[in-house]
Amino acid sequence: MQRYVMDNNKNTNVKDFQIRDELINSLKNRFTTYGYKQVRTSTFESYDMYSNIIGTVNKDEMIKVIDSSGKVLVLRPDVTIPLNRMTTLNGLNEDNQRVFYVLDVFRQSNEQADQKESTQAGVECFGDQSAETDAEIIMMAIHTLKDLGFRNFKIEIGHAGFFKELIQQTNLTSNELDALQSLIHSKNLIEIEPFLTQLDIDENVRKAIQSIPMLYGNPEIVTEQAKSIIQNESMQSILQSLIDIYELIKAYGEENSVVLNLGLINNMNYYSGVIFQGFVDSVGKPVLMGGRYDHLSEQFGQPNPAIGFAFEVDLLIHALKQQGLTNNQSTVADIIIQYDKDVQIEALRSAYLLRDYGYQVLTYSTNSNKNSSNLGSKFTIEFSSETYLLHGQGTKQAFSNQEELMSLLQKEEL
Amino acid sequence: MEPITLALAKGRPAKSTIELLEKTGEHFVELHEDSRKLVFYNENKSIKVIFVKALDVPTYVEKGAADIGIVGKDNIMESQADVYELLDLNIGKCKFSVAGKPNHAIKNSRNITIATKYPNVAKKHFQKKGQVIETVKLNGSVELAPIIGLSDYIVDIVETGSTLKENGLVVLEDIENISTRLIVNKASFATKATEVQNFINQLQSAME
Repeated sequence: MQRYVMDNNKNTNVKDFQIRDELINSLKNRFTTYGYKQVRTSTFESYDMYSNIIGTVNKDEMIKVIDSSGKVLVLRPDVTIPLNRMTTLNGLNEDNQRVFYVLDVFRQSNEQADQKESTQAGVECFGDQSAETDAEIIMMAIHTLKDLGFRNFKIEIGHAGFFKELIQQTNLTSNELDALQSLIHSKNLIEIEPFLTQLDIDENVRKAIQSIPMLYGNPEIVTEQAKSIIQNESMQSILQSLIDIYELIKAYGEENSVVLNLGLINNMNYYSGVIFQGFVDSVGKPVLMGGRYDHLSEQFGQPNPAIGFAFEVDLLIHALKQQGLTNNQSTVADIIIQYDKDVQIEALRSAYLLRDYGYQVLTYSTNSNKNSSNLGSKFTIEFSSETYLLHGQGTKQAFSNQEELMSLLQKEEL
Repeated sequence: MEPITLALAKGRPAKSTIELLEKTGEHFVELHEDSRKLVFYNENKSIKVIFVKALDVPTYVEKGAADIGIVGKDNIMESQADVYELLDLNIGKCKFSVAGKPNHAIKNSRNITIATKYPNVAKKHFQKKGQVIETVKLNGSVELAPIIGLSDYIVDIVETGSTLKENGLVVLEDIENISTRLIVNKASFATKATEVQNFINQLQSAME
């Protein structure tokens, strides 16, 4: 017989799920405080929708299924596109302008064949196109990372248009462009210079492209440095838009949580404005990514500017565990009740009442073989024929009826 | 300030890097020739050095087990790690080449077999040229493969070419120049910006 040793899903035991659930609740609460409402999209999406929209998900990475009529469907490889379609086609109103989701996305790759699903928790804000909205979205990301207890994190802010503008002044082939992008992506200062020199590019543009990887760090310094490579008016306005966003983040008092990274290039080609990603200590991949994509909805026939971002939930869990930020709750329940068989009625009625008040209660008969003494709980209640006792942290009090028990518990909880 | 963790490839890159660091006044007192320790600190404990296998250095850095790594470009390319590559230490210079028997130019019509320690590098190179290849992963004595007919060609690092020559092989095509590089974890670059930048500056000034 074949042995199924482990499934490939991470976080499948009970304790892991609690950590995950707590994390997701914390994200949801934060998103809600910014006025966002939760939505979901269908697990099955049309393959054609994803393959027709330029610059989205790699066709090979999508997991396809064929339905009974022969139509090709994919398991939701991303949430942004269906959400955008939903709001664009339903028409924008105050109800669907700000939405968030916690959903699984499905992709496959040869390199990581055992990781086909991951959970994303993200937000999208539709209809608004202002620096204020952009800054607020970035603030949500900062705020959430703070909620989770990360002490050392940074949001890198860049702009999808900055690099595109420079590239438009060259005539690189798509192969050359790929190579250039990967050099910029890895800030490879050593090879970028010889690579650019052998291409036929205007001297000024070449110098500008070459300096992009190191336009990184304190926004005030970087915007100063970037001014020297500005080639035209649209680059000027791009830079100004980043300065505006930074000033607003400063107004929130969170300027130390952000850096500019003009070498930031996102693989999702639909981004059109500010783009950003967040890093926490010791995790080499960004835990969140996002940006503005004003033109995606045009593919659904209507303009509908939008900005959003998503957390990689599995990566966040990994980071929380690594940095010891998870709540290692060792109790299995709030209260454990141990009772002798002859006072079972009192014990079970008390359990019923306590659960009614919202306590987590486990009950054990002292006659059963189960040893409950090594289970952790905040309180233990002992019902024996002689006496009823409430054990708290280092305290031990007798009671005779349910009213007394409740008042003792309330006092202990204070 | 938090200490930065530096992953070094055991052997020559490690030795040269430590020499450079000693030049800038960082001393690693516990470190000496025949020590088998794998973790060292400098005197004020601002730098923690770990010794790992060369091919593992990019992995340590990508996963954040080390902030900075110093390792040959060959290993960075093979591991395909997502890291920043910021500095060329100008040591350990050699190149990636395709080699084979003399008068045996590379055919680009039918499938060819390549024996190599670096299958990812080989695949990527031939993919760029639009050629499908089959790779045979070997862990050493790669030069033997074409001689005994295990493969048509090999992809390997070539320094002087004397090993190839002694085994009757010649370089047919160069892929890329290699030298020792400094790589940085993307999160550390963002969250430990000052420490990382200081370290790079220190190393750069020692190289001049």
